[in-house]
Parts: sequence; C-alpha cells; structure tokens
Amino acid sequence: MLRIDRTIAIQGIDHLWVVMVQKDAIFIDLLQFVPLLIGILLAAVQFFPEMQRKCLKLTLHLPYSQKKMVMSMLAYGVLALVTCFTMSFIMMGVYLPQHFTSELVQRILLSAAPWFLAGFAGYLLVSWICLEPTWKRRVLNLIIAALIFRVYFLAPGPEAYNSFLPWLTLYTLLIASLSWISVVRFKAGKQD
Amino acid sequence: MIRFSKLFFYVTVAVLLVWQLPWCYAFLTLKPAKTPFTMYSSVLGDFVITQLDENKQLHRYDTKGNTYTQQQVDSLLPSLYVRQLTADERFPDTICGKAISPKDIQLTNFTFKSVPSAINAPQTGLYFLMESMSKRVDLKMPEDAFRFTDKGIEFIRMETNRIDEAKSKLFTDMLVQKGFAFPASYASGNPTTRKDYDEGYLVLDANHKLFHLKCTKGRPYVKAIRLPEGVLPEYVFITEFRSHWTLGYMVDSKHHFYVINSDGSLVKSALPGFDPAKDELTIFGNMFDWTVKLSTDKGDCYYAVDATDYSLIKEHAYKDIRRSVPGLSFTSPDDKFVRPRF
Repeated sequence: MLRIDRTIAIQGIDHLWVVMVQKDAIFIDLLQFVPLLIGILLAAVQFFPEMQRKCLKLTLHLPYSQKKMVMSMLAYGVLALVTCFTMSFIMMGVYLPQHFTSELVQRILLSAAPWFLAGFAGYLLVSWICLEPTWKRRVLNLIIAALIFRVYFLAPGPEAYNSFLPWLTLYTLLIASLSWISVVRFKAGKQD
Repeated sequence: MIRFSKLFFYVTVAVLLVWQLPWCYAFLTLKPAKTPFTMYSSVLGDFVITQLDENKQLHRYDTKGNTYTQQQVDSLLPSLYVRQLTADERFPDTICGKAISPKDIQLTNFTFKSVPSAINAPQTGLYFLMESMSKRVDLKMPEDAFRFTDKGIEFIRMETNRIDEAKSKLFTDMLVQKGFAFPASYASGNPTTRKDYDEGYLVLDANHKLFHLKCTKGRPYVKAIRLPEGVLPEYVFITEFRSHWTLGYMVDSKHHFYVINSDGSLVKSALPGFDPAKDELTIFGNMFDWTVKLSTDKGDCYYAVDATDYSLIKEHAYKDIRRSVPGLSFTSPDDKFVRPRF
C-alpha cells in the first residue's frame, strides 16, 4: 500500500487505473509469498518443539480424545492465521476503495486470495511434515508439499483462480487430515 | 478418520503424478512446433516461404518448389521489404499494374493479431474512452474510466473515484436513443496514445446488436451498425489502422469473419471458420492482399485474401504439427485461468 501511495504521488492515480486495467498490474505482488512463509513458520514454531524429545507422547497420553487434541492444535494454528489474514484483508478493504473503484478492489483481493490459501496450506502441510516421526518419510512429504504449494502460484494473470477458488479452499481445509497419518505413525512407534 | 486421511493422501499423490509426469516428459522431449515464415506475393501469385534448414541456412521458395535469393524475395514482397527496396533504389514504379510510392505502402500496411488468451481472460469491465476530436495532434488519455451497467453507462472520475453523473446521463441517453439495450455483452477498443487517431469502441449490446461509440468534443457519438439478416455477432475488434479503410472486424456465431468498413458497411470475407476463443489469427495486410495465418489445434493454415473484396485467392496448410502429451494441467496457453483440465 505504501507502494501504491508512492506511485500515486509520482505518476497520479490515473496512471494506476490504466496500468491495472491494461497491464494486469495489482501492486501487491510483494505480498505473494508472505502468507505462505507465515504459515510455514507458525507450523514449525508450534510443532517442532513437540517432536523434539517426542513431547507429543505426553500430549497423546492425556485422558482426552487424541483426534480431538491433534485437531485442536491444528485449529489453534488455523485460527491464528485466520485472525492475521483477516486483518490484512480488512486493511486492504478499507484502504483500496479510497483510490479504486469496486472492480479494481475486487481484482486485487481475488488475486491475493490464493496466496492466503497457500498460507493455510503451508501451515497444515508443514504440521504434517513436523509430526511425521521418520526422516525418510519427512523428505517424501516435503517433496509432495512443495508440489502442492506450486498449485497456489500458477496464476498467469489477476483473478485467474476465480472459478477454482471454492474447490481450492475445500482442498486446503482437507489437508488437515494428513496430520493424522503422521500421528498414527508416531503412535505406532515408527522410526528411521 | 485414518482411512479418509490415507485416501486423501493417495488421491493427492495420484493427481500430482498425473500432473507432473506428463509435464516433465513434454519438457524434456517435445520441441516447439513452428511453421516457416510464409507470405503471399501478389507479384508472384503464390506464397513465398522462408525457412531455416538443419544447417541454419535460410531457404526461400514458393509452393511449387522454385527457390529465390534474398534480393529476389525483396522484389516479390515489396510491401514487406519497402525500406530495403527504397534504400537499394530498387522500389518499382508500379506494383500489379498500379502506380505506387513507398509512402502509399507504408500508409496501407497493417498487422492484426487475435489470440485466445486475450479473449479468455478475466476482464475488469472498465474501459477508457478517449476524446476523438481534440484540437491537438497528440492523443491524451481520459480523466475518467467507464463501465456498462444493467441500466446504462457510468463514467467514474479516477481522481476522486466518484461517478460523473452528468456525463453518464448524457451518454446513456444517447445510447438508449440509438436503440442500445443494456448491459453490453462485448466491447472492443484501443485506449492508447500510441496511435494516429481514435475511433472509440465497437460495442455489442444485450441483444448482440452492433454499435460504434466514441467521444467527439465531449459529446457522445453513437452509431448503430446494420447487420445482415440472421447474423449474430459474438466478437468485435476495432482496428484504427493508418489507412482509415476499416473500422474493425467482426466474428459471428457461425465463426464467419466480417470486415467493418469505415462507413459502417459490412463485408463478409472468404476466410473459413475462425473461433477467437480457440484459434489464433494473424493478418499481414497491404493494399493488394492479406496474408492470413489461422492457427488451430490441428495446424497452421495460410490464406491469401484480396484486399479489396476479401475473396480467397489461395491457401497453404501445415497440418499435424501440434504435439502434446496427455495429462492433467492447471493452466493453458489459450486462456488466463487456473483450473484443472485434461
């Protein structure tokens, strides 16, 4: 948004509108990988300590449904990301309509939507990798995760994901189920 | 839950394999299919083909197999090599029996290209209507943008991000008066200062009737273009070539290609079916002929079309040149959408 302000000051708002309509510019390209990095960091910070010295064993020995506990841990991370990303959207939703008409605001927000979904996917996939007890499987999971991340960054232009967004959102939420495979393998005592 | 998780995992891996393996194979083995540079020569009455062989040597020949040197090709394609012929003082006084100067050639030469990815792309629905009759030689971008709504046309001043109610009402009233039914279904314009003049927009209304819209001295100019009986336009393209001969092109629901002359009359060309959503069309035109390249999923076809009555002179095809590996893909060279497709 600072970039938009600077461009307005130097070249005028007209230039921005023309470039957005004719050159497919959206001016928030710097944001592209930020949600993904946030998701990955959050998962690493949350689950890496759990797997160090196998602290997760203690959690799984508590008199509570193991599935519910694991899903609660993931839900905590997802909620933290929802809060963080919603704040971003609100900031953009308040700032952008001051300068741009609804079509251009929609263009920017819909173009950014897959990046934020990538943030959730990053959190859930790295959780899956961290919870996996064996390094061999972690490497395989990492390769699969990297390929899945690619799907979120294929856009040849703005609003490219419009019709695919609902399905991508559903798939992103279902990624949470992968962590249960790692936990089951951990419970079974799988080792390198 | 574990069963669902494993099923989800295996489906994900299967999808990734179906996506990545064909892509890797195509990346490593397939070479891009390119057809040789082909232009129709009115002087020769045949296509002149320029191609690089395996030894990177240029060969120039016609469809009958006769070969030519670069100097000979310059003279066979005077519209294309006008600058070279002029520099060599070899430019002919007449071409095809018509007295011609290099300036005539430069004024009437044009290139037109339509690619599916420009058609099949998310549109903002915002357009820029330039002033067509300012007293200045240089064109200027407008201070507002416009959009079509269900009820009319709205101009939004970019500086304030507010609707210009007076201008919107003026243009809406004129469009309604000329029989325009909102909302517009398609619009084509070329809002740039890098052209000689501005002809505004060609617009299809909700009933697929064709209109010409521009801004002249701040006032709306709207003209309904009469269409032949039973013709339903799907796509229009504004041209704004230096010669001023054509206003634009139109493709109807049966994929026929029409030329819209500057006086608003329509002429159907002899080009075979062209679907802008699937095929790529390139036209290299001059005052005598057009060389039209139509690229479909089957191959590339070149057509020579008469520049005065748009009748077909000759055609030359390169078939079965497309190679692809079947598999899942999320993107396509023919559109700007991300979605799974085979």
